[in-house]
Amino acid sequence: MPMTDNNPPSAVTRRLGLAMLASSLIAGGARDAAAGAQGQMNIAVHISLSPTWFDPSETNSLITPYLLMYGMHDAMMKPMREASPGLSLAESYTMSPDGLTHTFVLRPGLTFHNGDPLTSDDVKFTYERYKGTSAALLRERIASLETPDPRRIVIKLKEVWPDFLLFYTGATGANWIVPRKYIEKVGDAGFRKAPVGAGPYKFVSYDAGLELVLEAFEPYWRKSPSIKRIVMKVVPDEATRLIALKRGEFDFAYSIRGELAAEVQHTPGLSLKVASDGATYWMYFPEQWDAASPWSNPKVRRAAALALDYVAINNALSLGLSRVTSNFIPRHLAFYWPSPPPVYDPAQAVKLLAEAGYPGGFDAGSYHCDSSYANLGEAAVNGLAAVGIKAQLRPLERAAFDKGFTDKRYKKGIIQGSSAAFGNAATRLAVWVVQGGPYVYGSYPEIDALYPLQANELDVGKRTAILHKMQQTIYEKDMFVPLWQLGFINAVGPRVAESGIGLIKGFVYTGPYEDLTLKEK
Amino acid sequence: MRHYIAKRVGYSVLSLLLLSLTIFLFIRLTGDPASLLTEPGASAADVAAIQHKFGLDRPVWVQYGLFMFNLLRGDLGDSFYYQTPVLELYQSRLPHSLLLGVVAMGFSLVLGIPTGILAAIRVGRFWDSAGKLFALLGLSLPSFLVGLLLILFFSVYLEWLPSSGSGTFWHLLMPAFALGWYFAAAHMRLTRSSMLEVLGSEYVKLARLKGLPEALVIGKHAFKNALIPVLTLAGINLIQMINVAVVVETVFAWPGIGRLLYEGVTFRDFPVVQGVVILGGSMIVVVNLLIDIVYALVDPRIRLEQ
Repeated sequence: MPMTDNNPPSAVTRRLGLAMLASSLIAGGARDAAAGAQGQMNIAVHISLSPTWFDPSETNSLITPYLLMYGMHDAMMKPMREASPGLSLAESYTMSPDGLTHTFVLRPGLTFHNGDPLTSDDVKFTYERYKGTSAALLRERIASLETPDPRRIVIKLKEVWPDFLLFYTGATGANWIVPRKYIEKVGDAGFRKAPVGAGPYKFVSYDAGLELVLEAFEPYWRKSPSIKRIVMKVVPDEATRLIALKRGEFDFAYSIRGELAAEVQHTPGLSLKVASDGATYWMYFPEQWDAASPWSNPKVRRAAALALDYVAINNALSLGLSRVTSNFIPRHLAFYWPSPPPVYDPAQAVKLLAEAGYPGGFDAGSYHCDSSYANLGEAAVNGLAAVGIKAQLRPLERAAFDKGFTDKRYKKGIIQGSSAAFGNAATRLAVWVVQGGPYVYGSYPEIDALYPLQANELDVGKRTAILHKMQQTIYEKDMFVPLWQLGFINAVGPRVAESGIGLIKGFVYTGPYEDLTLKEK
Repeated sequence: MRHYIAKRVGYSVLSLLLLSLTIFLFIRLTGDPASLLTEPGASAADVAAIQHKFGLDRPVWVQYGLFMFNLLRGDLGDSFYYQTPVLELYQSRLPHSLLLGVVAMGFSLVLGIPTGILAAIRVGRFWDSAGKLFALLGLSLPSFLVGLLLILFFSVYLEWLPSSGSGTFWHLLMPAFALGWYFAAAHMRLTRSSMLEVLGSEYVKLARLKGLPEALVIGKHAFKNALIPVLTLAGINLIQMINVAVVVETVFAWPGIGRLLYEGVTFRDFPVVQGVVILGGSMIVVVNLLIDIVYALVDPRIRLEQ
């Protein structure tokens, strides 16, 4: 049974383990040891590079650290081009029939950048040292991590946990392997100053927050990188990034949006690269559980869903490069339910409002949103106004907005939510839908009742059915009105043959680094 | 004199104490950095773990006490974002900011002082009006706009200069000009008014009555005296250029302290913001203290008035 989009990580069985073993042997056979890395790729980065991202033990609930981790480090399993998660440092993975024992076998002859062999002891050390996101959860659920020989790692769980692989290999840095000997020698601070990993590129130099230089690690197991040197420079201003790209100072620039992205389209030699697995954005109606509010009427929520011209908004704000969707769960996450495409029908929206008792519309109050995406909020507010639902845009800087959201201060009006957090459909539902979630203002008993049924379900088919049912119910109730799944737009210069953007499902940055190529002169 | 200096030092210490309290409290009013160090939708446990890691779960007064205790030991804390001592970050950026500040100051003085003198000696005429227009543009054009226009012209159209970054003399020119532009206007205005005041003074009239050449009157007698307030202002401005060139350093990706401050604000990196503000504030307080002392030494009336 191959690992596919419809066959999420927790579906791994012994048969799948064998299939993965076979695929890893094929990948190993494809290793290109002869090619010598050449040239330099200069990347303009939109965000300050933090040395905490050099150390997988520090990964928090942000995707950004993986921007560097995919270059300098490697994991036993991680989201790959071929599969998500796919085998990387591990050549095989198997799960016992009872779901309690998970065995990984490392590839032979692996080394870190400093030449130290990479063994199961390093895997154990990495896990024990890990203190980033969900560290407590992993420790709570994992009974033991044993290393019977230098290549074998056996993880035993206290109880069945269908999302073990998701958390261990996808949503945390706990299986991104760091070298025990080196860290014990130089300490944590020393490691952050001069990190040593097992990834396709090794660390050369770092100027705090400004520049990072990486060099190809030619013995990398998957294949030798083709570009000798990668230089990442932080250029915070978007317009400056674009100008520098146009001048050839960079080969690649992260995050070029709106009008600047349109400028890229009109510039010969430059092109846009979109990672379409970004965050989803949606409208949420915190008053839908208040019987006195118009939002408690399903017809009103449906009217709001019908009021927005999703395609036009997408075209206007992101050159049509985002995805319109009617499911607030991103398409790339496991257990995603493929909802019907969203419909724009303002006439029907007006009719539904009239049927609900609001023939002239109503005043919905505030539309709360993160100021970074106030433009999307503005488009939504305009769309709602066109059918008679009046709302005032209240953009707030991200941290303040998020705090207001989780503190449940936006009890009235509309909230524009979004999330790019790791996980699968179940983790998203826990946070945004099910009673007790940090962003949940109210819940529906029929949805809440389904959630625990899937939590310990090892049968993927049954679990998928439950999670699909939950998403379908959410869709039918118009609990959320999704606006889009954001396309993360980047610009690429004429020297780049492969930018790595969009190659790994669910990953918005460049990767795998060893696949990056420059055009031959 | 000792009493005067002690009093001034006391005021300076009080100013720094108030500055530390103000920045400590105000930066905390902006919100919780944990929410910027996680994706929206992160679990409450992850957010709580980050708050605990940075000591943000402690009462504010405890945080302030620790902050002051460490500050008095010369420890500005570790950056939340970079996990590096703030002092180390500051020191790594300081040479870049000093270089930018000094060259920008050079630009501002070279532009501002001659223009100010010209406006003063041609008061009410074309050069004065041109000087006023220059001052108006300098003070009203935001530096990000000046920066982007410079990039557009010199990097995109003429392709003479690199658009951003650092490392060569050519990288320095545009950010230094963009930063110096505003201060040039300020220096021009002060030079003009100072020159006008001096040119109207009795001793300048006497010099003219004595038949001294106009160039000598202006160059030797008027300019030297008019320059004192300009140079005093330039000293304070240099500290501002070094510490708060936030916009220019961001637009040109210049690796200075202003950009560090921008990053600190963006990521709610409390120790970085506190550190940069306190170090910048300390420089201003120390320079002001030195100026006060020098003034008092030069002019006894000042210390006697105290």
